[in-house]
Amino acid sequence: MFEELLEDIAQKNGLREVNTYLKLAAGLGAIILCLFSTGYIPPLFIAIVLTLVILFLARVDMQTYAELFVVPLWFAIMSVAGIILISGGHDLFWRWDILPAFSLSITRDSINQGVFVFCRVLGGMSAICFISLTTPMTDIFTVFRRCKVPEAMIDLMMIIYRTIFILMDQVVQVYHAQVMRLGYSTWRESLNSFASLCGAVFISSWDAGEDLIRAMDARCYDGKFALMGETHPVEKLPCLAVGVFLMLSTAVVILCGNNTIL
Amino acid sequence: MSSIILEARNVRYRYPRGMEAVCDISFHIRKGEKIALVGPNGAGKSTLLKMFNGMIRPDSGLMLFDNRPIEYDIASLRILRKRVGFVLQNPDRQIIAPTVYQDVAFGPTNLGYPEHEVKRVVTLALRHVGLEGFERRPPHQLSGGEKKRVAIAGVLAMDPDVLVLDEPTSGLDPSGSEDIMELLDELNHDGKTIIISTHNVELAYPWADRAILLLEGKILEEGVPQIAFGNPEYVRRAHLSLPILLELYMEMQKRGFQVQEKKPHTVLDMMHCIETVLHKTTRLIHPGTITVCNVDQDIQNTISTWLSSRSGITVGAMGTRAKQRAENEQIHLDFTYGVIDKCILKSLLGEDSLIMTTATMVDRITQRVREYANESGVPIIVNLLEVKQP
Repeated sequence: MFEELLEDIAQKNGLREVNTYLKLAAGLGAIILCLFSTGYIPPLFIAIVLTLVILFLARVDMQTYAELFVVPLWFAIMSVAGIILISGGHDLFWRWDILPAFSLSITRDSINQGVFVFCRVLGGMSAICFISLTTPMTDIFTVFRRCKVPEAMIDLMMIIYRTIFILMDQVVQVYHAQVMRLGYSTWRESLNSFASLCGAVFISSWDAGEDLIRAMDARCYDGKFALMGETHPVEKLPCLAVGVFLMLSTAVVILCGNNTIL
Repeated sequence: MSSIILEARNVRYRYPRGMEAVCDISFHIRKGEKIALVGPNGAGKSTLLKMFNGMIRPDSGLMLFDNRPIEYDIASLRILRKRVGFVLQNPDRQIIAPTVYQDVAFGPTNLGYPEHEVKRVVTLALRHVGLEGFERRPPHQLSGGEKKRVAIAGVLAMDPDVLVLDEPTSGLDPSGSEDIMELLDELNHDGKTIIISTHNVELAYPWADRAILLLEGKILEEGVPQIAFGNPEYVRRAHLSLPILLELYMEMQKRGFQVQEKKPHTVLDMMHCIETVLHKTTRLIHPGTITVCNVDQDIQNTISTWLSSRSGITVGAMGTRAKQRAENEQIHLDFTYGVIDKCILKSLLGEDSLIMTTATMVDRITQRVREYANESGVPIIVNLLEVKQP
């Protein structure tokens, strides 16, 4: 289960003990800088720095990180190919008139545009990965509370977070039980099995919901959810590192302006 | 005898469109008792347990807590539930919050404790169950035994007088089950009344002060475990099995051996019983001594030198903190459950042993050993490990 894997990595990563706000500042700052940059170099710079941080400071396994990156990377490659072929511009390199009113072309401008978008995707992806691999959800709840997100929302989020894993367990169990009895052997059978899986999980989650209320009542539920104690204090070195990273990235954004690859 | 804390008077309950789950049951539970409710599936154990903290209201009859009838308005229920803690069978269903700390803090927060107080009781509860350092872990990463401990800590944090546990050992491996039973023993020693429901006769038999045998919503037998499990016919009807000690004892009786009147409660009792039959008491000139080490002191240097001078000595630990301490000091533990009895057995073989335990349990060890000495006439010496001040 991928979601579980992500959370598990986040819970054990090397930057777990760094202050949550610092990590979020680095990640969100990187995304914003990626959006502000007009050239392809700044996002690439951000992507490389954050990837190195994820691999060597957070000590995330290289293969896991690569697997995580592959899916959006395919998306990016396909849409960039589209952009390069469809958007026009000066300095034509190649052209193919398929239909009278529609043609594919590769131009200097379209390649520049494509590379720029591709690098932005890389930068944004690595920033998102940085946040999700170094900051577990449980820490983000605390930030939400500090940011005055309505209590009811946070409580709901926490209960949902907790139940996701229980539900996922249920799904895996039912799924295995079905596979063991040849549940997904044919296409028709798959449809049937999937329907009964949904039914079974719905019933058991209904059950779990009732137990949840009972469990909360048994512990005097009064509409309150405990805060997760304290966040880790802001330490000098990580604070400095995040500051340097963001400043350096800003400098790269300003210096590179809108230079292009071709 | 201590005062009655929970009482049922002619309690009946029927599930909607179902059969009667509890029919006309009356019994009482005294402060500081360890009670085991045993019976087959569907005997009404869980239903009965849920009445203790007002989650189920009996159709007729009266439930009393602290000699006052339980009231079912919200305010009274809150007070009742603070004093009667309930641990569900499935810890996944009991654990609500995304981290261990938040879950254990759930009760105290809802009771309106200030934040520093919440923190204090949570730390205390987690230390009690041996889960220090687990505060920030999400529950889905914990093992079954650890989840159970979190669930127990969540209830302990509200400091209840009575702890009700539905099948506390279900789904745990044997050593995990023993650890939980030992934890319950420890909590009981701290003055909490403990009520459990279980199928596990072998665990319940030596543990419980009193057992209640339930079948089809009625009490079949009630009393000290020797009596509650003493009738093979009832035990069979309740779909349980006889505790192996009782079975042995009965077989000896059937073969005409002159066994003592008192039925054996522990392996120690059984050995005593067999030795009387064989007229071969292990009347050693020098039974082994038991040394008790109080882990609440600074024992680090003392214990390592003490142990190194006695290589191969048997070491047991009683209580969560003692076990943790042993792990920290990298001391290999031979016994972690039923430690006192096992060490007495070692003494009877002429071997020495060491028990690591917390300050409050030291008296209990000397008391138990003295009881045994009086009963059997074998004087066993209990020493307290002297801690040298550095």
